[in-house]
Amino acid sequence: MHEADPRGPSSKGYRLLQILVLGLFCLMTLRLWHFQIIKGQEYAHRSQQNLLRERNTYPLRGQIRDRHGRILAENLPAYSLALIREAGSNTKTTLSRVSNCTKASLQEVKNRYNKRKDHVEPFEPLILKSHLDFSELACIESRLASNPALRIIPRAKRHYPSGPIFSHIIGYVSQASQKDIKERSYLQPDDLVGKRGLEYSLDRRLRGSKGRKRLEVDARGRVLRERIVKEPDPGERIRLSIDAELQHFIWQQMGDRTGVALVMHPDTGELLSLVSKPGYDNNSFVGGIQESKWQELLQNPRDPLRNRAVQSAYPPGSVFKLVIASTALNNEDFSKSKERNCPGFYQLGNQVFRCWKEGGHGEVALKKAIKESCDVYFYKLGEELGIDNIANYSREHGFHSRTKINLPDEKTGLIPSREWKKRRLGRSWQGGDTLNTSIGQGYTLVTPLQIARYVSALLNGGYLLKPTLLSDKEPRQQGRLPLEGGDLNFLLGAMQAAVEEPHGTAWRLRMPNATMGAKTGTAQVVRLTKEYKEMDLEEIPYKYRDHGWMASYGIQGDKKYVVVALIEHGGHGSRAAGPLLRAIYERLFTEGGSS
Amino acid sequence: MISVGRTSWSQFNWTLLALIFVLTVLGIINLYSASSLQGDQGMTTTFYYRKQILWSLLGFILLPAGLFFDYRHLKQWVWPLYGASIALLAYVLFFGTTVSGSTRWLDLGYVSFQPTELAKISLIILCATILARLPGPVGFKSLGKILLLAAIPVALILAQPDLGSGLTILMIAGGIILFKGINRRVLFTLLVTIPLLAPGAWFALEDYQKERIFTFLHPNQEPLGAGYHTIQSQIAIGSGQLWGKGFLQGTQSQMRFLPAKHTDFVFSVFGEEWGFAGCLFLVSLFCLFLYQMVLISGTAKDSFGALLVCGVFFYFFWQILINMGMVLGLLPIVGIPLPFFSYGGSSTLINFLLLALVFSVSIRRYIFTRESLDL
Repeated sequence: MHEADPRGPSSKGYRLLQILVLGLFCLMTLRLWHFQIIKGQEYAHRSQQNLLRERNTYPLRGQIRDRHGRILAENLPAYSLALIREAGSNTKTTLSRVSNCTKASLQEVKNRYNKRKDHVEPFEPLILKSHLDFSELACIESRLASNPALRIIPRAKRHYPSGPIFSHIIGYVSQASQKDIKERSYLQPDDLVGKRGLEYSLDRRLRGSKGRKRLEVDARGRVLRERIVKEPDPGERIRLSIDAELQHFIWQQMGDRTGVALVMHPDTGELLSLVSKPGYDNNSFVGGIQESKWQELLQNPRDPLRNRAVQSAYPPGSVFKLVIASTALNNEDFSKSKERNCPGFYQLGNQVFRCWKEGGHGEVALKKAIKESCDVYFYKLGEELGIDNIANYSREHGFHSRTKINLPDEKTGLIPSREWKKRRLGRSWQGGDTLNTSIGQGYTLVTPLQIARYVSALLNGGYLLKPTLLSDKEPRQQGRLPLEGGDLNFLLGAMQAAVEEPHGTAWRLRMPNATMGAKTGTAQVVRLTKEYKEMDLEEIPYKYRDHGWMASYGIQGDKKYVVVALIEHGGHGSRAAGPLLRAIYERLFTEGGSS
Repeated sequence: MISVGRTSWSQFNWTLLALIFVLTVLGIINLYSASSLQGDQGMTTTFYYRKQILWSLLGFILLPAGLFFDYRHLKQWVWPLYGASIALLAYVLFFGTTVSGSTRWLDLGYVSFQPTELAKISLIILCATILARLPGPVGFKSLGKILLLAAIPVALILAQPDLGSGLTILMIAGGIILFKGINRRVLFTLLVTIPLLAPGAWFALEDYQKERIFTFLHPNQEPLGAGYHTIQSQIAIGSGQLWGKGFLQGTQSQMRFLPAKHTDFVFSVFGEEWGFAGCLFLVSLFCLFLYQMVLISGTAKDSFGALLVCGVFFYFFWQILINMGMVLGLLPIVGIPLPFFSYGGSSTLINFLLLALVFSVSIRRYIFTRESLDL
């Protein structure tokens, strides 16, 4: 045979083939070793990653109920529309289909998508619209098969059965903004968060915490199996001290008027009612408020978004006389029975300060001065005490400081002083300023809640208690009035006289089988000219009318209540708030009150 | 030379038959898994494995036919076969069915026929015929002759376009030539010329083919696009680790992460389900299979027989190497099937046909080898 005959075990050709087979074996074995043994674990992990997705599971937000268990904030079922980008082929087409089904324009849908897309992880749902209504839901649901990237996700929708009546207490829940996420570290981009009211301050407790579930998916993102990794913690149910029926009643009684009414338990600081009118429909914020409605709210001159119980500070008017009286009682030299003369006016320099009663009250001592709210007595008293005294002691009554109730944006109010005026207005304190301060006018500003806290302190032995909207809480002491028991009783007695004795400014409030006490107040908004002063209330333009205050207490047997009302531009305190308070007390004392 | 040219049944290579059987069965079992998909309602199986059983049965019927057929007759059929394959290749370009941009198939009703397969057979026989007549190693003249003859069908195949098959044919021819032996000068010239031609070849490539090479080099740059196949395949095989995930438990394949798993990526399915142990076993089987052909080639009765079997050897060798290499990230994705495992009616039949030829050669060899005759 020729040497070139390739056959036979020793020929080159044969050798070549042998080498090739051996080479193949070695090459493949080594390569497999590399993948399956050396990097096996890594690849096993990656195949798991292909497969497994983790998703959040959401707990229900805690309900808010009143002290008797009536529901004030609840969760109703609702559906959100979400997009999973990786599960579909063409995002643009999908978005335009979304726009067809929902009422949003394509641009709006695109904007929503673009805003969210960088904050959502791969394979995670991107919420395009929450709270689909039924027609939107039906439209999307019927097209899910041809739009594999879309998902309908059931979520709960917050609902407030009584809307505006409790809106200032409860607030609402809506989409967390960038700012919210920055402020609260536990928030994630698609979360809902409480805004305003208790939904805001108690958000952490109400929301519970998310759980986690693991999904086994195929390459199309279809879910094959689900497993709960961590159960969600449900939100805490919150029980308020508020009595819903009482709140409804007061709301109704206030009618069209703008203002505040508070009912407090003096021994605990619990609020049975906190009404601020006008309110707003907090339900309209839940799905995301329409721009037009929002503008309406913002531009409404009655400012419905303002919680006047804590976010507004008003001149206290004559109610402040109680505080001036306290200051005086603290003074060793002061005598309750010393009389001062009120001729209807008081002259300071070339200024004449008038008393509300034209002819004056004649000789009055402290009790009568409070009962009949004599301005001149207090001008004189104020001058004697001096602004420094007044300023210091007023602060000890809980003014010019927040009550720290569980509501956002509380105002501190203002007790003016020499150095305040110098600092703030650049001018020095005048004698007239003292006189104005003595009757609760001028620069002084208080919130209705501060007044309520103060009156409660008079009743409970002098303790300034933290006002609270929640029930089952230990009363928290925030301070002590600088008065002894005897003085407290004196003030209470003067208030009682205002109600139960003739010529008392709160005469309208008297009730047969209860002990009532009150201090009226009329806070000037602007100084009315002589001609306005002679007009009837209705003839004066609304915004020039005085605010009407009434701070009161009522005791019947075991039941003790403090009721404070402020009617904006209501005119005289007694006229404005008297009937309202009377109705409230009637209800409190006859309907078994509120335990 | 003493020639004891009779058919000897006692020389029948039972090992090869056994290997073919085992590989076929494993292939079908694997294809069953590769045909299955996990849905949220449970598993569904597509028809692939069933068809494969059919083709394999047909193949086993073909095998004995080859035993009765004397391979030497093929020498007379060289040119008709060659002509027919060229004619059919030309025909398919105009009248064939186009699938995903390439025109490779002739639709004959129930079955489809790929002229490329015929071309592969005819070229193997052609090379074997030409080289058998050569007394010594291949020189320029013979090389040129073979290249020229191969160029026509290869060009037609490249026009389909089917780069993979075209290159495979050239590589099979190259393998046979190397087996025969190459003149040193020719070898040297080739070694110098081919690298020079490479840049030219690069420009001749279509964009998508260039893309494939690029993706091969950097699969992670396009994880959801072109690199997806490679990455998913590697994940599949790698995640099998030592013992595999178990039959039908391959998550990559069952959960649709692995594409083309009944054709190009069948080996990934196998790797995921049977692990390194299974793969080592399979690679050994394939190597043993190939080695049988080496043995048969070495003990063939004549040059023609040896070269023929060598051709079949390379036919299988390149497919195995390229497919496994592709699946394991050693080569770009080129769509070459894995023998016995990838789904394919015509490729299965061709495989069995070629193996029948191998058997034909194997039982017609000398009882005595050259050495034993001591001549």
